[in-house]
Amino acid sequence: MKKSPFTLSRRQLLKAGAGLSASGLLYTSALQANTIDTQARIVVVGGGASGMAMANRLATRLRGGTITLIEPRDTHHYQPGWTLVASGVWHPEKTMRPNADFIPQGINWVRQYAAGIDAENRRVDLANGESLEYDYLVVATGLQLNYNLIDGMSPDLVGQHGIGSVYASVEGAARTRQAIKGWIDSGEGKGIFTSAPTAVKCAGAPLKMTFTTLTHLEESGRRDAFDVDFMSPTGGLFSQPWVNDFVKQRFDEQGVNRRHHYRLSAIDPQAKQAEFTFEGEPGSLVVPDDLRSGATNAQGKSTIIADYDFIHVVPPMSAPDFVKQSDLIAKDGPHQGEWLDVDIHTLQHNRYPEVFGIGDVIGAPINKTAASVKAQAPVVEANLLAAIQGKSLTARHDGYTSCPMITGIGKAMLVEFGYDDNYAFMPSFPFIDPKEESWAVWVMKDYMLQPAYYAVLEGQA
Amino acid sequence: MSISSILTILMYALEPFAWLIVAGVVILVAVHLLAYMRGYQITQYRCLLATGVAGLIGLSAFFWAPWLTNSEFTYINTVFDWVAAIGSIIGAFVVAFLLLHPLSYLVRGQDA
Repeated sequence: MKKSPFTLSRRQLLKAGAGLSASGLLYTSALQANTIDTQARIVVVGGGASGMAMANRLATRLRGGTITLIEPRDTHHYQPGWTLVASGVWHPEKTMRPNADFIPQGINWVRQYAAGIDAENRRVDLANGESLEYDYLVVATGLQLNYNLIDGMSPDLVGQHGIGSVYASVEGAARTRQAIKGWIDSGEGKGIFTSAPTAVKCAGAPLKMTFTTLTHLEESGRRDAFDVDFMSPTGGLFSQPWVNDFVKQRFDEQGVNRRHHYRLSAIDPQAKQAEFTFEGEPGSLVVPDDLRSGATNAQGKSTIIADYDFIHVVPPMSAPDFVKQSDLIAKDGPHQGEWLDVDIHTLQHNRYPEVFGIGDVIGAPINKTAASVKAQAPVVEANLLAAIQGKSLTARHDGYTSCPMITGIGKAMLVEFGYDDNYAFMPSFPFIDPKEESWAVWVMKDYMLQPAYYAVLEGQA
Repeated sequence: MSISSILTILMYALEPFAWLIVAGVVILVAVHLLAYMRGYQITQYRCLLATGVAGLIGLSAFFWAPWLTNSEFTYINTVFDWVAAIGSIIGAFVVAFLLLHPLSYLVRGQDA
């Protein structure tokens, strides 16, 4: 694409801002932040939102020592934008930037995949056979999409046979848009939207995909020709109670068949059939008229078969395999064997005090969003620096997370909440009601959250 | 949030529109310079037509601002939405006025 002669690069604009700062007109937190001297070797595993934010923050705060960022990819993906790509609002290119734009000076960028963590010996093994020793480790790997736990499903199928999945990749999001468009262009049929039986990143995404597709269906002028089902493996749709009730009511009003306690367990792409395992009370299954009884599976659970013209697949998710195979994984409790074992407030590992976790990989009841990273990064920074200095850890994460819940193309609700009081709302702006659908919140999602996200990557927010 | 944080966010937010902002400023400055060189003074010159058209453009922002943001007029709902909508009306009016007022002087003002 030819670059406009009028285009100013971000760095040029930032330089202008920095120049103003230097002239004394502006105050910068970076200048005020205290740096500490250390000889520690710090390894950050993963260069997504959380890893990049930590690399930038630590590079600003530490003098001496070494900071190593393990991140194999050259491109950074703004994943919160993928729902907009899959909804046809954004072009995929808008969600991509070179990682080099965000890598701070003075750190070692190791362009390799991590292959293992030996917590006892404080060592990270790389895919090329090399290894890195550390004094402190920040686990910021993100999570792993386990499409393989759905029989017959593969991310390669996204975009074919009426299969969509916004989570697969940015290309998958674009192909999901094409799958939705193909279904709507066919003029009729059944769409099934699913949800996963595990914690997922951006837990609002399956709901947003349903809402934006409903907008397209209504705009087609043939809404009545389409059936829309939402299949949830649990009794709920969203962790925040008020939002859960709101979405249920809105689905009912918009003609979405809500079916609870159904887990997507297999898919037959050629036949366009999906198998769901019933996760409700044994014996309580009443097969709806438009679905068929399937076989009882190996676990003795009932299954049902549903035909579809479009299906949105949300895969089960977990920590990456190499984290699961390490001693850092939770040994008991609700996150056993699946997620990193950290104190959800200090974000320090529960058994290895030199290890901290941040982002999607941690075992926490909520918190797999970029907004959570914004709240967690200062906590990990403060507590890691305290650990280096031999001080007690005083910074605490309150569980803040945020979901700009898109309830249709052009409107959204700014849902912010945390751990306490049964996930009570924690609004950042007193003039934005989290319970109201809003054009301005949509504009924030469309135009302002991506810049705020990049500021988080730079350690600025 | 520090000022540097706000600046960083603003820079990223404005980056896609930098060419548009620069082009707009260049046009505005060029029109004003040209008009001032020919005797235009913003406080002295009166043009009801330019002001009226700028007002209409401003009011029309109420409808096209949501459209421009992939939304629609009927989704203006909360108090914050209305404040934002009124802000877009005022903004569109000011920009239109700053452009049309000296332009009208260049076209007919010297004779008015």
